[in-house]
This record gives sequence, structure tokens and C-alpha cells, in this order.
Amino acid sequence: MEIKTTAMAGTLESSDIQITISAGQDGINIDLDSSVASLYGDQIKKVITDTLVATGITNANVKAIDKGALDCVVKARALAAAQRALETSDQPAWEVF
Amino acid sequence: MEVKEVDVKNRRYRHLWQQFLESNGITGFSAADLEAIDTTSLWLDEEGEVIATGSLAGHVLKYLAIDENHRQAGTTFNIVVSHLTELAAQRGHYHLFVFTKPEYEASFQHVGFQLLAHTPQASLLETGMPTIKDYLNQIKHSSTETGTISAIVMNANPFTKGHRYLVEQASRNSALVYLFVVSNDVSLFKTTERKELVEAGVKDLSNVVVVDGGDYQISPATFPAYFLKSDQEIGDYQAHLDAQLFKQQIAPALGITDRYVGSEPHSKTTENYNQALAEVLPPTVTLHVIPRCQSNNGDVISATRIRQAIKEGRLEDVKCDLPTSTFAFLKANLPILQARLTTHQQKGF
Repeated sequence: MEIKTTAMAGTLESSDIQITISAGQDGINIDLDSSVASLYGDQIKKVITDTLVATGITNANVKAIDKGALDCVVKARALAAAQRALETSDQPAWEVF
Repeated sequence: MEVKEVDVKNRRYRHLWQQFLESNGITGFSAADLEAIDTTSLWLDEEGEVIATGSLAGHVLKYLAIDENHRQAGTTFNIVVSHLTELAAQRGHYHLFVFTKPEYEASFQHVGFQLLAHTPQASLLETGMPTIKDYLNQIKHSSTETGTISAIVMNANPFTKGHRYLVEQASRNSALVYLFVVSNDVSLFKTTERKELVEAGVKDLSNVVVVDGGDYQISPATFPAYFLKSDQEIGDYQAHLDAQLFKQQIAPALGITDRYVGSEPHSKTTENYNQALAEVLPPTVTLHVIPRCQSNNGDVISATRIRQAIKEGRLEDVKCDLPTSTFAFLKANLPILQARLTTHQQKGF
């Protein structure tokens, strides 16, 4: 699916993650900023990538600022940002969860 | 703790807000600075006392302060920055800048900001997308030639033979010249018009590439004092930041080793900017100050004089100062330009 607009979801508060998605060219590129990147960086990127792929996004530039979010939070924020970017927020993609 | 969106131009909040900022060491409340603010958030405690505040001016975070009893662990700071980035996103700004004191650099980096440049007095950081890397990748010219790569930054409001002379000097002594046209919508000529006139005026110089200055070269976001009548001191630190940004980010990424500027006999702002470049750039980047090209009557060619002539409808008087492409554009669009001048009697026009 085509990204229509840059979109953001999440906050910078503890236990949350702020994800911004914009249109990209070659695959899903994630720029992750996290104090636990060395331990969980790969896992966070995997959750974001899987969530975006499930919504049909194949090309995107993603910026993620993590404040120690659990996987379920990462997934929720990624989905919200993705649907905003696709302008499909009025059709919640429940099956992604 | 509750958060309120307020308009600080409204007297009711102005006093409360300004007093809080001043007690936290933030000063500088000129009319131009206040006018630029789009929205301000105030965080209040149960007694109605201000705990924190932050403002948005376009895509710049401003006037951010937190009461010293609420600074521990940075919790409030993260809430404030979070809230402001959300407000900015709602307004369509996903790319944000902040100017701050060097001691707060780390706090912003902790919430995902990247440092662009710093001086002993101030730091400039950005967050979101697109980043400076995206900007530089987009303008980078894939040249196979070897030799000096130079840069010129100009507003060209509008492009004159004086500008042309400066570009020729750089072109003659370089393998490649990046000609950055300042992006702003506060000049008489729109960004697209200025860029088109520059392109038309240098199209015979094959080693000159005309690129967009974006948010990183004398932009109203990062160097507002260049466009507004601001405090001398503020203009000075912003000029140094702009010069540092050029030296630390733009020049290394594009391989630029030389920068050309015209000498400035008239404008104090530009003269100070040249001075800042001279202090910051060498030895990493060589600065060439080229004496200004003279008109037939012995005065230096200046865009200010061209704009004056437009206002008074005396285009023929300045014809010899203009490349044919610029003159043709002025002639064809004189009524529109004069109308813009009368409706916007702003400083900087």
C-alpha cells in the first residue's frame, strides 16, 4: 500500500515509543533511537517491520524514539502510525493484532 | 498537572508566562519573536502555578522552560517535548528544530534530537523527518571531476549582475560550484522565482549547480534574525550557528573547501554574517571575500536598489545592473511586484 502522508504516533514518555513514518523507496528503513538498542534493538525493529508489512507497507522511512516500550506498545504505536500514514484510520486493521 | 493551550499575545497569560520564563533565565521577548509564535502550552499544578511551558513557531520549538522542582529524572521535560511534537505533527510539521543552551543539548538528544551545530553560547538540534542527511543526499552532485568544490549562498532578491560577478569568480577558480538559493517566503521575490532567475542567469556556466538552501542555510527557521529586526546579540549567535552548521555538516558531506561571499558596504546584518563566517570557517573552509561589482555610475550593484527602482517604476535606470533574464522578468511582472511591495511593507523586502 502507498504511504499518502507522513504520520506519527506515540509519545516520548517512559515505557512508550514515538514512531514517525514517511514514504520511502527501497524497503523499510528504521532509524532507531533507544537506550536499550544494544539489547533489544533488533527485536524492536522486527516488531515494527512485521507490523508495517501486515498493513501492506513495503517501502517506508521510519524514525523510532524508544523509551523502554514493551512489544505490545511498539506494535500498537506502529499500527497507529501506519494507518495514519495510509489514511486508513477509519478502517481499523484488527487482524494485525 | 493540567496542560492548557494559550495565546501569549493575550494579556491574561502574557504576564504569567513571561514572568515564569524570566525566572528561569529566558529573555528576549521582541514583538517580532512573539508574532512568530503559533501556540504556547502551559502546564499548571493544582494551585494554578506554572510548572512548565513550551511554544511552537512553525517548525521550531521555542521558550521551553521547566520549574526547577520538576526537573528530576526528566519526566516533565519528556512530557513537554512530547506534547509539542504532537502539536507540531497535527499542524503538518514532522521536522522540528530547537535552539538551546549547550548545557541542555544532552536532554534533547535523550528524546531523539540530533545535534546540528553548536557554539559556546548556543546549540541547534533537529528531530523528525526529513533530516539533514536526507537533504544532503538529495542535493549532492555526482561529479567525476577532481578539483576545488566551492559554495555560494545567496538570497538573490532578485538576481543581479553583482550576483553574476560573484558566481563567475567562483566558477573560474573551481571544478564545481554549489550555488545555494536561500529558501524563504518573506522576500519580495518568491523562492521559486528567485531560483528560476538564478538558474537563467548562470545557465552558461557549466560547473555551477543551483540548489535549494532548504532549512539549513540562512533559513527563517534557523536564522530568523537575518529576516526580522532582532536584537544584535541574537543575530550574532545565530550567524555563528549558521556558519558552524555549514562547516560541520554541509561542507564535509559535499566536499566543499571554499566559500565565496561578496563584500558588504551597506547592510549591517550581512556584514556581521560575513564576519561570523570569517571567524568560524577557516582553516577547514577557505573564505573568499570578493569586492562588490560596481555599476556604471560607480555605486555598487545591490538588489536593495533594484527593489527601490521597482517600487518607483524606474526599471530603465537599473537595466544595466541586471542580466537580460532578470530584466525581462521584472518588466513582465512589474504591476504584481509593485502590488506586493505596497501590501507588505515588511522589513527585509
